[in-house]
Amino acid sequence: MLMKYLMGKNEDIPPGTASIFFSFSAIVWFIIGTGLGSFNAAKLAFPDWVTGFEFFAFGKMRQVHVMAVIFGWISMAFAAAMMYITPALGNTKLWSEKLGVWSCMNWNIGLAVGLFTLWMGMTSGREYSDFIYPIDLILLFGVLIPVALNVWMTIAKRRTQGIYTTNWFFAASIFMLLIVLLVGNLPEYFHLTGLTEAYLTWWNAHNILGLWITPVAAAIAYYTIPKITGNPLYSHRIGHLHFWSIVIFYSTPAAHHLMSAPLPEWLKSFASVEGVLILVPAIAFVSNILLTLQGKWNMFVENIEIRFTVTGVLLAIPLNMQGGFQQTRSINWYIHGTGWIVAHAHLALLGFSTFIEVAAVYYGLQVLMKRKLYSLALANFHFWMLLIGFSIYWIAMTIAGLIQGAGKIYEVPYIDIVVAEHPYMIARWFGGTLVFLGNCVWLYNMYMTAREGTPVPAGRMVHELAYER
Amino acid sequence: MTWRFDNPLRTLTSDEQNKTAMEVWEAESMGGIMENNNRLPQPVVYLLVLTIISAYLITFPLWGQRPTAAIYEEFVATMDSPEVQALPNDAAQMDYMVKKASESGSKYATPHINHPISMDDLRTIRPQIEALKAQGVVLDDYTVVGNKVVLANFEGNLRADGTQVRQQPWWDIGYTIDIFYVIYFCFAVMIVVKRLPPNTVQPRHGNERMLSDAEIAELSVHGQKRRVA
Repeated sequence: MLMKYLMGKNEDIPPGTASIFFSFSAIVWFIIGTGLGSFNAAKLAFPDWVTGFEFFAFGKMRQVHVMAVIFGWISMAFAAAMMYITPALGNTKLWSEKLGVWSCMNWNIGLAVGLFTLWMGMTSGREYSDFIYPIDLILLFGVLIPVALNVWMTIAKRRTQGIYTTNWFFAASIFMLLIVLLVGNLPEYFHLTGLTEAYLTWWNAHNILGLWITPVAAAIAYYTIPKITGNPLYSHRIGHLHFWSIVIFYSTPAAHHLMSAPLPEWLKSFASVEGVLILVPAIAFVSNILLTLQGKWNMFVENIEIRFTVTGVLLAIPLNMQGGFQQTRSINWYIHGTGWIVAHAHLALLGFSTFIEVAAVYYGLQVLMKRKLYSLALANFHFWMLLIGFSIYWIAMTIAGLIQGAGKIYEVPYIDIVVAEHPYMIARWFGGTLVFLGNCVWLYNMYMTAREGTPVPAGRMVHELAYER
Repeated sequence: MTWRFDNPLRTLTSDEQNKTAMEVWEAESMGGIMENNNRLPQPVVYLLVLTIISAYLITFPLWGQRPTAAIYEEFVATMDSPEVQALPNDAAQMDYMVKKASESGSKYATPHINHPISMDDLRTIRPQIEALKAQGVVLDDYTVVGNKVVLANFEGNLRADGTQVRQQPWWDIGYTIDIFYVIYFCFAVMIVVKRLPPNTVQPRHGNERMLSDAEIAELSVHGQKRRVA
């Protein structure tokens, strides 16, 4: 079927095809990414497990997990959402389904090659931009620019006069991502070293989070909440505040990742203030979404997509409170380089953004395949596995980080810190494994939805129909 | 794109243009999604103001200043004196020097408390501080990082002798930039928001344009719900 669409005419490809391919790819990469995470966590919890093989060493496997989750699961789920939400909001079709299908195929191949090279030990050695630069260029020109072109052209060819908030974020975020990846990888292209390399590495890492993952996840929530509840978005005006504050305040604090580095002090001061001001877009976003839910809070219990989305939005509150304040000099001194940061990163990626994306994939696949979800019970099981697994992980790693921080400050011997952390490493592995198992169930549920889901009649919306199982 | 400035806190756009915008707003269904024009609730406004104030207060330079070599110059000068050496141990010697500096009205009395140092570390940095004094440099330009004394990475004005001031001013340039940055942001967002119809005008939903059967069939995706006028 894939070859038929790759080689066929654009007009012959059913609308939504690219998004469906992206959605299933994202779920598979989520399983791979969380499976790798569970494997790596097991190595920390049980150090004698799988030893003696160079390619299963933690040092080689860790970045494969990170890149699989960010560029496999999260970014492909974003692409899936963009491929169906962008045209929906413009009352039109995707500019080119064929380009979308090609993008999806290139993405899967490029990412697989990239992760294989990482696994083989070919790495730039720079966190969050670990791929060697030829892989970066393939993903940039073969995948991201075509996806961006599709989004921008769909918006340009829309059949509405206005552009809805979600599409501002989609169009701008993918533009900013291209800039971030081009500039952020300059140290590799031009062999920049030292402080310049360190700063650009964290400029890249910070902005992938701040200008790609955070705004696109928020944009999805701006779609799913009004769409499924039927409530109008509470405020177009607050949408403006959110959009511009994320562009202004999230793009500048990269130096707060390097508060102890010999960067110019004025830059660190500037970044530290901006770091706290990240709370401005966060407050705007959370208040706009929660106020949109007025009168429909029952759907938080009754509707699986709303439950996932709102959980993600609620997790944005601790996420941004942590993010805003943990980078200030006094707090950063304590928690820098500890498991606290790992917990925070998972709160952002596995908590806030993942829950919102999961909702987008659940909803999008049902709409595009015109099939009601196969099993609500399995979806509920998935939700609780994700929430309980993530919570165990987050709490365990936060405590472990505080222990590490105390050990660092009071110069406790390293091996004593390792011993003290051991129970939390086991909890980390257990929580991560729950997430992995929940995702396997999710894939089964969506596969069965495609095969045996109840057809949705034309003109009806999926969330209006009752579940049959 | 006409502008008006007679009531800028209400709207910056003419009534006629606002009316046209609201008509489009009410008639247009973007994938079945509607939008309201509510203002930011007042408690949230206070929360945002609190956030901006907190951002400056919690990161103010005084909370992040590093110890300079000048802070410890007095200790280096007195650590070998008979009255210090007469004390029984390192802790007592350090307590004595801190207390003496405070009583003599040292301008570094507060930094001594904020940046305590052990006698062992003092012995390590002593030769470095003495070497710098011998060179005649300004010790305030040097930062103590662990057991090393290094040139601070601030870049201030040039002195008459051609050297550069390496001290963090209380009005740190990063904060100064931030003040302007936030002011520009507030102005820009105010302009963007005030170009919209005033928040006292809310769109009446239910008048969105109907999609024809042909349009629904053509789109065939997205779960577009036909809205009835």
